[in-house]
Amino acid sequence: MGVRARKTALGLLMLILAFSVVASACSKSSNNESSSTSPSASGSSPAASPSESGSPEATVEPLTISLFTAATGPIPTDDNKIYKEIKEQLGVTLKEEYLVGDIEQKLGVMIAGGDYPDMITANAKLTAAKAVIPLEDLIEQHAPNLKKHYGKVWEQLKDPDDGHIYWMPNYGVYQGDFSSTEYYGPAFFIQKAVLKEFGYPKFKTLDEYFKLIEDYAAKYPEIDGQPTIGFTALAFDWRDWGLRNAPQHLAGHPNDGGVLVDPVTNVATLYSATDTAKPYYKKLNDINAKGLMDKEAFAQNYDQFLAKVSSGRVLGMFEQRWNFGQAHDSLVSQGKFERTYVGFPLVYDMNTTDYYLDRPPINLMNGFGITVNAEDPVKIIKFIDTMLSEKWQKRLSWGEEGVDYLVGDNGLYYRTPEMRTQQEDVTWKQKFKAESLWGYLPKLEGKYPDGNADGAANQPDEFFANLKDIDKEVLSAYDRKTWTEFFSVPPDNRVSYPAWNIDLIEGSPAKVANQKMKDLDFKLLPRAILSKPENFESVWNDYVTQMGKVDTKAYLDRVNEQLKWRVENWTSK
Amino acid sequence: MTRQTVPKMNIAPQPARRTESFWSRVIRQRQLIFMSFPMLLYVLVFAYAPIWGWLMAFQSYKPGFSITNQTWVGLDQFRFLFLDEGFTRVLRNTIAMSLISLILGFVTAIGLALLMNEIKKTGIKRLIQTISYLPHFLSWVIVTGLVSMALSTEGGIINDVLMKLHIIKEPILWLGEGKYFWGIVGMTNVWKEVGWNTIIYLAAIASVDPSLYEAAEVDGAGRFRKIWNVTLPGIRPVIVILLIMNVGWILNGGGFDIQYFLGNGQVLDWSETIDIFVLKYGLRIGNYSLGVAAGIFKTVVSIVLLYCANTIAKRLGEERLI
Repeated sequence: MGVRARKTALGLLMLILAFSVVASACSKSSNNESSSTSPSASGSSPAASPSESGSPEATVEPLTISLFTAATGPIPTDDNKIYKEIKEQLGVTLKEEYLVGDIEQKLGVMIAGGDYPDMITANAKLTAAKAVIPLEDLIEQHAPNLKKHYGKVWEQLKDPDDGHIYWMPNYGVYQGDFSSTEYYGPAFFIQKAVLKEFGYPKFKTLDEYFKLIEDYAAKYPEIDGQPTIGFTALAFDWRDWGLRNAPQHLAGHPNDGGVLVDPVTNVATLYSATDTAKPYYKKLNDINAKGLMDKEAFAQNYDQFLAKVSSGRVLGMFEQRWNFGQAHDSLVSQGKFERTYVGFPLVYDMNTTDYYLDRPPINLMNGFGITVNAEDPVKIIKFIDTMLSEKWQKRLSWGEEGVDYLVGDNGLYYRTPEMRTQQEDVTWKQKFKAESLWGYLPKLEGKYPDGNADGAANQPDEFFANLKDIDKEVLSAYDRKTWTEFFSVPPDNRVSYPAWNIDLIEGSPAKVANQKMKDLDFKLLPRAILSKPENFESVWNDYVTQMGKVDTKAYLDRVNEQLKWRVENWTSK
Repeated sequence: MTRQTVPKMNIAPQPARRTESFWSRVIRQRQLIFMSFPMLLYVLVFAYAPIWGWLMAFQSYKPGFSITNQTWVGLDQFRFLFLDEGFTRVLRNTIAMSLISLILGFVTAIGLALLMNEIKKTGIKRLIQTISYLPHFLSWVIVTGLVSMALSTEGGIINDVLMKLHIIKEPILWLGEGKYFWGIVGMTNVWKEVGWNTIIYLAAIASVDPSLYEAAEVDGAGRFRKIWNVTLPGIRPVIVILLIMNVGWILNGGGFDIQYFLGNGQVLDWSETIDIFVLKYGLRIGNYSLGVAAGIFKTVVSIVLLYCANTIAKRLGEERLI
């Protein structure tokens, strides 16, 4: 009896031990496997010289690159054609991870674990955590296309703190002058159907804008069987401008994030909780009393917001066009063309010149960087460099010749009506386009050497041919040719523009103050907007008092210091 | 190994002799000690070894540098945490939501277990049990999605039903008003966990000696008498043990996910718990040390609460954990 009991106990113990050994061995070996694939797969020849810039694809060897993007989608399908071509022609397999939930938190966890992919989209956290490697030498030695591309803005790419380049901005580097037809920036958007209903009225102020929405909502309390929503705004995670940014534009300032910057003195001041902001929120309070404000606006997340806009029953919103691009595409693919939006640059009073449209500044703190975990940064930079070649740029932007576009006699690209319809299909895009990847890669913007625009939307002929009937009606009614013409022609950018991409430094008092300001805005602005009109004043005063307690000076000091630094270092000498 | 001579073993338990030395007792219990080794190792490696990371709480920790190569800031992180004007509010929310979830969770789970015990048809009993514990397996993302859909002002079932019954005139923005938030959290917790929590009570009830019921019946006790005088006292030890264990979690605010997913700017004053505060001012803005400081605070409070609950249970002559 005793013997058997002991044997069983021993046996059990051995089993447990054996299992734990196996388990630990397993986890270790799988680690090794995943990290060792890239060197062993490429192994033999790092020989192919970087100088063959003529045929860049020859320089990239079999390689798996893992990358994380801050985009939530559209997520390509497994058999996506572009990824397949990248693999076949360049030998590069891309393992992508998309954001789910909150970016700051995701990165916070990633940093705490030191668990980075090879390539990652920009964030100040990552630079602060030394998670990304300096790129300037890599670019100079291995990436002729990137070197040429960023030549003009090289100094601006450098981190103000240590002078290294960590990120490759995705937008804002133009070949020649910028010209765009589609507007992607901030504006007060309104459905084309509303404009049509009232015979395309001209308007410039908030009162006129909300009057249109009010009248339309009164006439059509339901759209497609669901209640009409007059106005919505998104305040979720880092997408906070829907709630916070409108006052600066209404006051005639460009998008500097949380501050107004005096173009002459280059000094930043806050506008939240000031009299610059108050009239706007008072107006939203008024329209809420009329039942036009989306009551759930400030309780919704990004997905719910997109779904709501996609349903076509939101008449107006303050937004940035790119932020609801997925909803726009969805409306188009549902055929609800008159439910898509036109942006208008509203201002507080008629004498103010609007400054919504800006000359595209270099999109700092954006695009991809390479992390310290990347086994072979040289190969990765060569891959990115290859993607910047004209051939791949066209492949990603225009598509495949003969399939996605045709070449006209004059050498200009165009699409047939069928091709155009196809391009609007969201599910088709997941299979044949790589929009998220393309969004973050460095881009040739403006015109290619052969005279074609950087994409179909900016090719004048394509743009006009792609306009729906309602679009043509809107444009001709307002006597405009493109959507950007609804905005005043912007003056030259201030050297220090824009202030929103200033790195506040992780964990610093400035960053804490910024978070507190945001918390207060998220908490009290909705309360002010949704309160009864007679209570607005008291909520607003409470808001101002509480804002007074925040260390806003720490925030402003950091912003002003950086603005000054930019003027000193970026002014062309 | 198999051919070893086997020492004489006493199968029957034997009262430990006073005179027995420590080492001889160790030798006698060596198999048990040996068997507890893996667990001990597990606890040491995963629960005690990481404690050295608490050093971070006294630094201004920057990732990318080693822990010895950081700026020491003393108690600054704790000062930031405790002196923040929002801290009392955050602490209040945490404790309030914990207590609500704790009390609701106990009352409903015990109540349901008692009710289910009274069902004589096993088929119906099984069905109810299965249905009531299924939500436990849903993840919080889905549960909170369902909750926000049910509470929506546009076609949410709660508002619809209340409107049809003429209890309210216009839809209530449940998730936009702070005063409802604690209740919503409590009810959601109950909905998700009540079935799961009854399992342990049902097991405890099953182990109550049936002769006690028979005796009570002979004495003329009805159903309610039997529940009150036999079943409940029978499962009291289990209730007390579970209560002691749950008291240690009181600074968790009844779960993190639910406030995180359901909360929004408008209800911040009621929804922000310690964990969310730390997430925002620690992890999200890159101040990891604050997270560690809050972790230390929570651990210390939890241990104190656990011992208090244990001591009280001991004084009252109840079962206890330690």
